[in-house]
Amino acid sequence: MSTTLTALGVGIGWRPEITAFVRDLPGLRFTEVIAEGVHPGHPPRDLLDLRERGGAVVPHGVKLSLGGAEPVAPERVAHLAACAEALGSPLVSEHVAFVRAGGIEAGHLLPVPRTRAALDALAANIRRTCAELPVPLAVEPIAALFDWPDAEYDEGAFLTELVERTGVLLLLDVANVYANARNRGQDPVALFDRLPLERIAYCHVAGGAEQGGRYHDTHTAPVPAEVLDLVAELCARHRPPGILLERDGRYPPAAELRAELDAIADAAGMERVT
Amino acid sequence: MTRQDAPADRPEAAAPAGDSPERAGEFDPALAAAQEALVRAMAAGAPVPDGFDEAAVRAAADAIVRKRAGEVARAWPVLAASYGTDWPRVFAAWAAGRPTRGSVRDAWDFARAHRAELPPEAAFDLALAEARWAYDGQRAPRRRRAAVRRVPGGVAVQLLGRMRVLGGRTRR
Repeated sequence: MSTTLTALGVGIGWRPEITAFVRDLPGLRFTEVIAEGVHPGHPPRDLLDLRERGGAVVPHGVKLSLGGAEPVAPERVAHLAACAEALGSPLVSEHVAFVRAGGIEAGHLLPVPRTRAALDALAANIRRTCAELPVPLAVEPIAALFDWPDAEYDEGAFLTELVERTGVLLLLDVANVYANARNRGQDPVALFDRLPLERIAYCHVAGGAEQGGRYHDTHTAPVPAEVLDLVAELCARHRPPGILLERDGRYPPAAELRAELDAIADAAGMERVT
Repeated sequence: MTRQDAPADRPEAAAPAGDSPERAGEFDPALAAAQEALVRAMAAGAPVPDGFDEAAVRAAADAIVRKRAGEVARAWPVLAASYGTDWPRVFAAWAAGRPTRGSVRDAWDFARAHRAELPPEAAFDLALAEARWAYDGQRAPRRRRAAVRRVPGGVAVQLLGRMRVLGGRTRR
């Protein structure tokens, strides 16, 4: 449990559509790349360049299905490990979620039941994964529009026990915390008081949109002011080593994206990277 | 609810708290079945399992189909562009109840299902893809060594990965 956390600062997710923008950020020392899109034999040049400048590139897996009842696929774990090696990553990240069952792909991250049985399966998969990884693993609680019935834990207790049992790090997505609380009429800050904040390896932030009376964490809109306020609230309690903007579409002009990164840095009390 | 509130008649309740690697490594068929039922409801048109907020599960499933439409549009822009602003709706109508097999195969399966109505640009792309890859619609596509395919306005000839379109038409 005494993993030394790497200082990361403000980052932005590396995506094929914004490679030039990311490459040209003068102060950037932290990015994240979707692991399933990386060929470890030929990692993108920009990512290797960032690494050579002393930056951190974190492979972010989306299809491992750590929360699935089925054991994680060894080839997917091996791919994540190979990405970490190829990019010289300080850690890798994945989700507290499952993405397939019975051979059917869900197409996205689905929540796990907050039960002892699901915690056992998740812990076993995290152990299997960590046994093969050259670096620490951080897991991200997801945004979900619904919960499983018959929960035996609340989210804070579930995640805390997961961390205690496996030693895994957390990737806390502040926008997910916001979305979940907003859609359930709860106080997002309450979760901060229930989590081992010192185990957060880094945070995500993103924007979303309301549709059909529900807030969707789409990653295609600016980060709302409420999420920036939550970032400040979190950092007042415990500042995480890094915070990263996820943008996955409807990319705004570069100046707007830079302003957004500055707003995130300011809210977190971190140095601007623009 | 916290764990202490778990019903005492659950088999897990008898297990010691904390680390139990022997049991934690075991396959749990009940959890697997519950997860499969939820995935079938969200991706394959099955009923939403008891106890869930059905409207919320459906909203999440709809959001996934919208995301898939975006991913297919990125994988095959010409295909999505053929439908203009109708793309998300047309794709969703086809994709609801069909679990994804990745955005490339989603695109390919969609294009085949709509072959008769594809505009020339998209039909051209589909023909080129089919000259390059053997795809039976079930297993992952495999590279062809050679193929000849009719394309709108000509014939595509592929040999060892090199493609030639005969008949005057060239890609923009």
